[in-house]
Amino acid sequence: MILLAKAALGLGGTLVIAGAYTMREGVIRVDVDEYRSGGSHVHVWVPAAAVPMAMHFVPREHMRHAVEHAREFMPTARAIVKELKKFPDADLVEVVDGEQHVQIRTHAGKLQIDVEAPSEKVHLLCPLATLDDVSRQLEFNAPGA
Amino acid sequence: MSNCHRGFFAKTTFIAAAALVLTPLGALAQTAAPASSTPSSSERATTSASKDRWLHVRVISSDAKGETVRVNVPLELAEKVLPTINKNRLHNGKVRIDCAHVDDVDLKALVDAIRTAKDGEYVTAQGNDSDVRVAKENNHLIVHVLEKGKSRKSQVEIKVPMRVIDALFSAGKDELDLVAALHALSAQGDTELVSVKAEDNTVRVWLDSKNVTD
Repeated sequence: MILLAKAALGLGGTLVIAGAYTMREGVIRVDVDEYRSGGSHVHVWVPAAAVPMAMHFVPREHMRHAVEHAREFMPTARAIVKELKKFPDADLVEVVDGEQHVQIRTHAGKLQIDVEAPSEKVHLLCPLATLDDVSRQLEFNAPGA
Repeated sequence: MSNCHRGFFAKTTFIAAAALVLTPLGALAQTAAPASSTPSSSERATTSASKDRWLHVRVISSDAKGETVRVNVPLELAEKVLPTINKNRLHNGKVRIDCAHVDDVDLKALVDAIRTAKDGEYVTAQGNDSDVRVAKENNHLIVHVLEKGKSRKSQVEIKVPMRVIDALFSAGKDELDLVAALHALSAQGDTELVSVKAEDNTVRVWLDSKNVTD
């Protein structure tokens, strides 16, 4: 009985620590709502810590393919993410045009992109640290790196 | 271990475990807060460390749609990011201008002449439709245009530090060094660079150490 309790405590403790680590890194959140008949409604929450780990399991060939597509923008993306981490929260871009509203901002170490229009609503939230990790891994997998 | 100690130990363990479980939930709730629940700009208004300089652009259109554009960019970020963009005429933070002689005017020579000249009025034109004034004052190049037409009234004011203009033309004959200009700009104090006031829209470009527009 005591052995069982110890095993349960060990398992529970591991789960709690793993959960705490996963959530400490934050969550990547993607919400897409299209307000039309047959429009898609996508709501995805992914623990940010899982993304760089999951990237290790992506076949190298697929990774290289992705890098080749993104190669042109990689240095710029990396520089933006690296720099944004240094600055306090800010509304970087805000465009309001009638009923359309686009906002790009940093908030609590996350990049937040909101697009609101009568026909659709898109919210994207991603920790800057995750973007940095992902861009670093993509760069690492670039041919000739 | 006595029953009393065992109970105390069990309670402490339970509280610690509960705190561990609930902490990430709190962080999650914070993360998941919708955009609308985040504090307003004024609530989040902070002044960055004094070395951080922010370039602000605000365009407000007073037409029926009421279009508004607000951009807040840290100068340091722009300085670091610009050299990474190599597309078309932009390369290594410099932009190529194929013809430095615009309509037979040597821009670089013109800038050199202004830089070495003393403060004063260079162009003053007053007409029925518009007034134009180009001057150099306290190491700033000032351009002032006032349109007075019946159909269209507008006021344009541009005030650029000479150091920024020097840095902009410091690259080569047919290039403008944007990064050098941004670097020179970051050494300036709070300043309003461009102000356009027209009937249908207003444009404002300015520099300060705040990370919010107003």
